[in-house]
Amino acid sequence: MSGGAFDHLKALIVEDNQHMRTLLRSLLNALGITLVFEATNGEDAFALLRDRQPDLILSDLSMSPMDGLAFAREVRMSRSSPNPYIPIIMVTGHTERHRVEAARDAGVTEVLAKPITAGSLYQRIGEIVDKPRAFVKASNYFGPDRRRLRVDDYSGPFRRREDFENDLSVE
Amino acid sequence: MTTKNAAIAQLVPAEAYPPLLSPLQRRQAMAKLRSAETIAKASRILAARAAELRDAVLELVAQFEEAMAVADWPMVYSATHEIRGLAATAGLGATGRIANVFCHYLDAVAQLGLAPETAIAKVHLNALVRSARTEDDTARHGDMVAQELSALVARKLAELKDSSTMRDGLRDGAA
Repeated sequence: MSGGAFDHLKALIVEDNQHMRTLLRSLLNALGITLVFEATNGEDAFALLRDRQPDLILSDLSMSPMDGLAFAREVRMSRSSPNPYIPIIMVTGHTERHRVEAARDAGVTEVLAKPITAGSLYQRIGEIVDKPRAFVKASNYFGPDRRRLRVDDYSGPFRRREDFENDLSVE
Repeated sequence: MTTKNAAIAQLVPAEAYPPLLSPLQRRQAMAKLRSAETIAKASRILAARAAELRDAVLELVAQFEEAMAVADWPMVYSATHEIRGLAATAGLGATGRIANVFCHYLDAVAQLGLAPETAIAKVHLNALVRSARTEDDTARHGDMVAQELSALVARKLAELKDSSTMRDGLRDGAA
């Protein structure tokens, strides 16, 4: 059966565990994503990103010599990055709060905790497909806007340019 | 808040960069992602790989054992997190929960700046080995072991935090 919408998408899996790579590839294939590239660390993945230009990335966190966080930062911030807007799903067994926050700060789009299920992976892909994120450009960060909700009665401080565009009276 | 701060960050709306899919493709993609047929197919794939993944978990448990024998804590840490990540997908739910308890312990002691205690690590190693090498009909025992280990780790971490707080208090008092 044809994958339809997913047919033309190319994915990059960055994972040092061969079993997990195979599993992720199979789950992507089941959606109709058949063009899947694999790397075992961030360095090789960055080369594949330049050469093969995938549309989305599934990346592990712990790898050597370049781990998933350094890879995500390279994708988002490097001048030589071919696609700083590419969605990155970090698939990780490291689910401690400080690690999830580090992934977010590196510019990861979604975090998926292992053990993975088909439902959890497809839910994250759905987020990327259905709700593409705005990006924030700052001196020390480039990546998806970390604010998921717009709160109309937000009473905290405003720090972003667009918060001021329609209100020149703010000082 | 000042306009100086406003200049620090700039928002690039999602419409400003190329979309992954066209609106039509997006609708088709979402229908596919939500379809029961897709999930069933993917679940069959996972089930078909369970035996292979179980072997992978057993390899990781062996790595854990080797690392423990030479007190290679970074390898212990890495193997435990890998086990936690793979075990449930391999149908070894109790093994995953035991690994999860130990991951929690390793991260907590690391945050306190302490080395893991060998005795605590050995208890988890024994539990992981037994749980991973037995079949699922013993999972209930595995779950009980995971619960007991969780209580042990909670008690141990409370002791460590108490003694750490006491050390800080004595240091502050001395200063």
